[in-house]
Amino acid sequence: MSMHWYVARRVAWAVVATYLILTITFGLLAVAPGDGQTAFAFEAATEGGDVDEARETFDEITGRDEPLLTRYTNYMVNMATLNWGWSFTRNQSVMDALAAAYPYSLMYAVPATFISIVFGYAIGLYSATHQYTLTDYLGTFTAFFGISVPNFWFGIMLILVFAVDLGWLPSYYQTGRGVWTLANAKQLVLPVVVLSTGAIAGNMRYSRAEALEYVHADFVKTARAKGADDWRVLVRHIFRPALVPLMTILVADILGLLFAGAYITEVVFQIPGLGLLSYKAIIQQDTALVMATTLVPVFIAIVGNLVQDIAYTVLDPRIDYGDR
Amino acid sequence: MTDPLLSIRELRVRFDTDEGVVQAVDGVSFDVERGETVCVVGESGSGKTVACESVTRLIPMPPGEIAGGEILFDGEDLTEASEKRLESIRGGRIAHVFQNPQSALNPVYPIGAQIVEAIRLHRDVSKQAARDRAIDLLDRVGIPEATARVDDYPHEFSGGMKQRVVIAMALAADPDLLVADEPTTALDVTIQAQILRLLRDLQAEFGMSIVFVTHDLGVVAEIADRVVVMYAGRVMETGSVHDVFDRPSHPYTKALLDCLPGQGQSMRPIGGTLPDLKQPPAGCRFHPRCPHATADCRTGTHPELLPVGSGHDAACVYYGPGYDSTVIRGESVSESRAADGGDAVADSDSDHDTTGGDC
Repeated sequence: MSMHWYVARRVAWAVVATYLILTITFGLLAVAPGDGQTAFAFEAATEGGDVDEARETFDEITGRDEPLLTRYTNYMVNMATLNWGWSFTRNQSVMDALAAAYPYSLMYAVPATFISIVFGYAIGLYSATHQYTLTDYLGTFTAFFGISVPNFWFGIMLILVFAVDLGWLPSYYQTGRGVWTLANAKQLVLPVVVLSTGAIAGNMRYSRAEALEYVHADFVKTARAKGADDWRVLVRHIFRPALVPLMTILVADILGLLFAGAYITEVVFQIPGLGLLSYKAIIQQDTALVMATTLVPVFIAIVGNLVQDIAYTVLDPRIDYGDR
Repeated sequence: MTDPLLSIRELRVRFDTDEGVVQAVDGVSFDVERGETVCVVGESGSGKTVACESVTRLIPMPPGEIAGGEILFDGEDLTEASEKRLESIRGGRIAHVFQNPQSALNPVYPIGAQIVEAIRLHRDVSKQAARDRAIDLLDRVGIPEATARVDDYPHEFSGGMKQRVVIAMALAADPDLLVADEPTTALDVTIQAQILRLLRDLQAEFGMSIVFVTHDLGVVAEIADRVVVMYAGRVMETGSVHDVFDRPSHPYTKALLDCLPGQGQSMRPIGGTLPDLKQPPAGCRFHPRCPHATADCRTGTHPELLPVGSGHDAACVYYGPGYDSTVIRGESVSESRAADGGDAVADSDSDHDTTGGDC
């Protein structure tokens, strides 16, 4: 089977997966109690509005009183047209809320991802080619520290030391300082450090393990016997084959970093990114916003899987298009 | 006679492991003349691979370490050479072919690219010129339709074809010496014969020397000019292929030949196992398994190589003063000879049997 057919099937599968996830989400919401109506009415009551009227308004906005099939059709059409609903806690559309939050997440996630990949892989490859030396043990120890230390604790400790005691860096994130300013860079240092620590460690362990499979491989010995120098052997004959399995982790890492770890980091450092947005939405039962902030990572995971599958076709000539 | 191309002198290689120091190669010496094929024979673990990979320092270091001796290649001591210098010798003047062709090629690059890499590491030629040479080499080692297959990946070739590719890669820079470490062991018998024939033809064509590491005496008979028999990190016997096969002069060599099937008589395996190289036995390394071992064999150091014929040496006390060497040689030498009263340096080479040697 050809590569085009393989890619077409992977894309088709991604579409099916997306459809299934949306439908299941709809089903869960339909049967779930307290879909936000109560919270909405409560909000209205505290502001001196009429509770019953608020309930009706809510039903009208969300179309709760329509038949199930109509609601399902509307829901799917809205999802497909990126009309993801209204966030009543923020008084803006969900899409606007996401768009406003995204840059803040990217501001620390991009450098953190970049740093963790470069340093993680560099240390991992070094460790693999210098197995059982002092530097290898040191790298491994650092990695275990990075993996073991919980983000929220590490973040708070860094704030205590560098913001409270030493006063070198701000203790929490403040908006309105521009993007490319020193002030903004300074307040991003601690979040980036917290996020990178765990990710460097993970990358280091994976790349070390994968590279170790090839350090003693026959073809690496062949490469040395050809007269290739250490750098060439490392890059072309150890790292390149190891990149095939590492690709899976690499893609997951890049995407996962944006959301999973960022929750805690954003709450600790009060960065108004997607993590904090989602966190607040959950606390305040803003259903539309909760759905958006949880569905976005799901879609990214689907796209990520697709990217991985296609990356294999480029990286691994042995891939079999037969039965996938 | 000119100097040998490769001269290994008293080479010692050891590995520092968690369980202790393994003296994998312990004072090994042998020469390789220009254009000749030397077979290094021995059981697994005899140190033959380590000795040959030490020549270009391919053994992992650490834990490996060249603890002594000289490796003179074309007059240059490679044990003293810098890593940079060795990189230019590896693949450039000394090429290697390894045992398992299934894993000797990098799975993520086309074979042509891997040969081009070998060429361009040593020759300052354009990519296109290197590619043309790669196709020539593939054609030369018997890959059918080389032009069409140059961009195929290793997994698209059979084991025998892969070994041909590996050989083509080894020839990339026209080496003076080819070190082939059990290149046929992982292959079918019919393919083995093809590869051996290929190596012999290529040697005639390129005029290179070959060091052929094997435990298969059938292969030795097929390809060797001279034989080096190794056991437990030492050389036990060395000589021309005819001498070693017709007049095996060390009990170990004799025992190895007795293991060969199809000799008319019943085949006799060697009892016992290789000694632990972390604590090699005192005296002769082979004495625990030797049917002729005496008290002298069990103490002191391993016996030195002593001449038993022209260009034929064996490391056995029976060739020293006070021993009757016919005890060792008598059984398989066709002409019986009179005991030569103590001094057992083999008399002459007048009785060398130059026919056969095949087994």
